[in-house]
Amino acid sequence: MKYGYFPGCSLLSSAVEYDRPARALLGALGVELEEVEDWVCCGATPAHATSHLLSLALPGISLAAAERQGLDVLTCCSACYSRLKQANHELVHEPKLLAQVNEIIEEQYQGKSRVLHIVELLAHEIGFEAIRARVTRPLAGLKVAAYYGCLLTRFPEELRIDKLEYPTLLDDLLAAAGAEPVDWPLKTECCGAALTLARQDTVIRLSGQLLQVAKECGADVVAVACPLCQANMDMYQSDAEGQLGQQLGLPVLYFTQLMALAIGLAPEDVCLDKQIVDPTPLLVEKGLVETGVYL
Amino acid sequence: MKWDLSDKALNSEFRHAVEARSGQGLSTCCQCGKCSGGCPVMPDLDLSPNRVLRLVQLGLEDEALRNETVWCCVACGTCNTRCPMNVDIVRVMDTLRAMAHRRGVEPPATAARVWAFYRSFLDCVEEFGRLGEIALMGSYNINSGRLLTNMVKAPWFFLKGKVALSPHKIKKIDRLQRVFRRVAEIESR
Repeated sequence: MKYGYFPGCSLLSSAVEYDRPARALLGALGVELEEVEDWVCCGATPAHATSHLLSLALPGISLAAAERQGLDVLTCCSACYSRLKQANHELVHEPKLLAQVNEIIEEQYQGKSRVLHIVELLAHEIGFEAIRARVTRPLAGLKVAAYYGCLLTRFPEELRIDKLEYPTLLDDLLAAAGAEPVDWPLKTECCGAALTLARQDTVIRLSGQLLQVAKECGADVVAVACPLCQANMDMYQSDAEGQLGQQLGLPVLYFTQLMALAIGLAPEDVCLDKQIVDPTPLLVEKGLVETGVYL
Repeated sequence: MKWDLSDKALNSEFRHAVEARSGQGLSTCCQCGKCSGGCPVMPDLDLSPNRVLRLVQLGLEDEALRNETVWCCVACGTCNTRCPMNVDIVRVMDTLRAMAHRRGVEPPATAARVWAFYRSFLDCVEEFGRLGEIALMGSYNINSGRLLTNMVKAPWFFLKGKVALSPHKIKKIDRLQRVFRRVAEIESR
């Protein structure tokens, strides 16, 4: 099993602790990754929010590169996933647009690349059984709020990988790792997303609400699949606590970190030292990591 | 909020222009309000999404282009997936924002920073091919005139070793810069 890996910009800087466990986890499960050659930023919200054509041209460059490598595109970042997949869908279904974009990007993309998210790969292609078989350190007693955010599941019908309003794939993956997913109602509510610098009031209100409800529903940690969701809930958690007048102290981890921990990967691959709300005291208390090893 | 329609002929030209650019049929919107019921940012904004669509239906161009909602929509897509008439509302908001920018409509003061953020982000991509979060924060702080935004958060990034100081430049940067120029040229026609 070999894929064209599209790390995306965040996974090379603020979300290294999403990237590293993901690569290690996939390696352990027998997935080979070859980076999409000279990939370009997907454009995220700023591209489609300002120029529809640019929002197709930027993903087009990376999709064409993957097609030349003969590989499907795999990404962990939900924002990259959403942009690459929707742009690909539009290009494949509108030949005139594809021709125009090809001319702009100096490529001959034919629309052969498929775009996958790591959640989809693990759940649909590798399968829960194969994952369960690799678990050496089940996350027993860890109550997790699986948070999908907006971009992982909210697609037009033909592109969906999971249920729209109450998805379950991430819950099922975490359950396969031995954790206890909690039932909570805000799985797909928005965290404030790209307003993170421009409208912090909105981001603090939305992220605070997510954390508060996750805690009320009994979660010990929140598991995410998107760098922006992680940054908003982790970085602004102290501000949210101030606004809510309530102590939250809820670690926000990438689901790949929890899965890497469950299959017994080395501490340097699990990267538990990167979160602002430190998850180690909780994980030590639950007997999931040894004191000192991760500090 | 009330709008006075008495002295305004219904401007269907504007609605047709939005429909053509967004590929969405806006007369199908039946004002059920599901988009607004699920909109996460609406509590902080001046207009609900269904009202923005109503303004377009009525051809009230200035009002449809000059509001916080058009600029601050986060594109989460909740409205899109709940719309019973299958209107791609995010695409309509994107279209209105681009039209407002091209027509020189100034965003309300509370929304001006959103455009500054998008601009800073894309400037960085145009220069390097990828986004560097520190370069983005610096350029955003200059473009938005808010020099200290997030400076209290910055030390975390350094302490946790989460930040590459400057983004890795892609190899074919010249081609990418030609792409940016071509897109700008096509869109200015």
